Amino acid sequence: MSTLKHKGKGPQAMTANELVSGLSVWMTTDLNWSRDYADALLTEDETVIEKMDEIAKAAEQANTVVGAYFIDTVDAKPARYRERFRTHGPSYDTADLISES
Amino acid sequence: MYRYDEFDAEFVHSRVAQFRDQVVRRLDGRLSEAEFRPLRLMNGLYLQLHAYMLRVAVPYGTLRSDQLRMLAHLADKYDKGYGHVTTRQNMQFNWPVLSDVPEMLTDLASVDMHAIQTSGNCIRNVTCDPYAGAAADEIEDPRPMAELIRQWSMLHPEFAFLPRKFKIAVTASSQDRAMIKGHDIGIQVVRNEAGEVGYHIIVGGGLGRTPVIGQTLRAFLPKDDLLPYLEATMRVYNRFGRRDNKYKARIKILVRETGIEDFTRLVEDEFAALDPSDIAVGAAERARIATYFASPAFETGIKPLDMASQPEVFRKWVDTNVVAHAAPGYAIVNISLKDPERAPGDVTTEQMRAVADLADAHSFGELRFTHQQNIVLAHVRQDALRAVWDGLVAADLEDANINLIGDIICCPGMDFCALATARSIPVAQAIAERFEDHDRQQAIGEMQIKISGCINACGHHHVGHIGILGLEKAGVEFYQVTLGGDATQTAAIGDKMGAGFSQEELVDGIERIVDFYVGAREHDERFLDTYRRLGTEAFKEVLYASA
Repeated sequence: MSTLKHKGKGPQAMTANELVSGLSVWMTTDLNWSRDYADALLTEDETVIEKMDEIAKAAEQANTVVGAYFIDTVDAKPARYRERFRTHGPSYDTADLISES
Repeated sequence: MYRYDEFDAEFVHSRVAQFRDQVVRRLDGRLSEAEFRPLRLMNGLYLQLHAYMLRVAVPYGTLRSDQLRMLAHLADKYDKGYGHVTTRQNMQFNWPVLSDVPEMLTDLASVDMHAIQTSGNCIRNVTCDPYAGAAADEIEDPRPMAELIRQWSMLHPEFAFLPRKFKIAVTASSQDRAMIKGHDIGIQVVRNEAGEVGYHIIVGGGLGRTPVIGQTLRAFLPKDDLLPYLEATMRVYNRFGRRDNKYKARIKILVRETGIEDFTRLVEDEFAALDPSDIAVGAAERARIATYFASPAFETGIKPLDMASQPEVFRKWVDTNVVAHAAPGYAIVNISLKDPERAPGDVTTEQMRAVADLADAHSFGELRFTHQQNIVLAHVRQDALRAVWDGLVAADLEDANINLIGDIICCPGMDFCALATARSIPVAQAIAERFEDHDRQQAIGEMQIKISGCINACGHHHVGHIGILGLEKAGVEFYQVTLGGDATQTAAIGDKMGAGFSQEELVDGIERIVDFYVGAREHDERFLDTYRRLGTEAFKEVLYASA
């Protein structure tokens, strides 16, 4: 499983992309997937982390998600800038201007 | 314009059918992501930071009005109502859904389009001077040559898995608008001392993390030899190019490490060993392809507009966005996609349809995407300029900033790209807003700002008069500046200035540079010439001066 620059320090979250839509998702407290990072399960519990890993692999096998990996979090937010950015989407999208007009 | 023959059409439709089946097998699990990824990339489908992205090929940047309408249709039906013109003259859609992509490709195939050669380590979509066939200074239309290269490269079995991607750009003008020295291979149509038309072949250029200006491989190549010579060059690259390190795999690294003399010898030896009859395309076939690109039936006796009776805002637009055409009475119209409030290169479906209508009414139904992320109507009667402008005003496309400081090249950056390290769109918008006043832009004159959101340099920052590279450290975006880059026939890599800036500091710093230039220039000296005359240190001092 890809870890990118994941250091495995502090509370962990699991992220991936939905296979069909490609949208970013995070594993939730009920070990499902949500497009909202606010729903993400953050944990340092090794047993839970192992369980998350198993479920993510199973979800990839089941073709629900692609490219699942753990991310480090600090103060309940992703540690890396890139991962923080993924949680809120583009800061600019022409689609927003179109929908406003 | 080139139209598919039966073989082209059959191939593209069969490719769509293959991909449709591959998507079905991916969705039901018969293909893993590892197996599917190279297949989707061969069809232009990337998985980006937030979603899939489909990159549609626009060979040599030329497309018909019905093709632009089809792109608008795709954006409306399958995406979010807009497309993004890329720095390689293609169009990207940022939000497609995997299960829709086979339908998108089917729709594209119905108008002779596809997404092949827009990804992977193959010979990518050939790019071209956007004024081809219209430029007053060109020897001949370079697009038949570009089309020949497309046909040769599209399915070439030997070059489907190169060490790295491979980009070719072509022009037939002495004024380089295709950045041929910044490509793996650049080709310029030239005339030799005997008056024969042939090709100047440049090799080993490229931007990315190791920017290099291309060097001459062959000063004059007879037309018949084009494909054998390209084949020989590709074979040398394919054989000796590094595959152990993707960051050293481009041909520019091979040329640099081999030395241009030895590299040339390798190519010439390979060329000498080839049987040209295996691949060379003779004059008759070249002429057949060229008929697709024959000049439109230009009319004569066209009277120019009485500009004195036109409104000032229109005259300013003409001064900035309209260029001389080879045919008397005609003009080349540049349509700016650089509205300061939008991402450079983004165009809505309403705008696409408006431009397609203008192309039908005033430019023989044909248009171009430019690597500077604008659109060109190549053949407009001078007496129709006002009608075109009225149409552009109605479509909110009348920005008069071509080649001025507001005409910023910008990659999607962190807002969309999975490789980016920082955002680039908000930086472009902030600079465009600071210099929004048209008269100020006009007073500054020719200025190319180019912004990349990472060292892969899709925003061509190395060759910007002012280049900006977005990086990130400890969760904070910052921007490094280069000055003096040049994407034209006098190509140069910009000089790195030093420590980076926050976005706010950056815009202030750029304004200081611009103001310094305006005060220091002699007569109508361009920014680049002032920079070259005064040198790096003078500008660096201004850039880092506290506000």
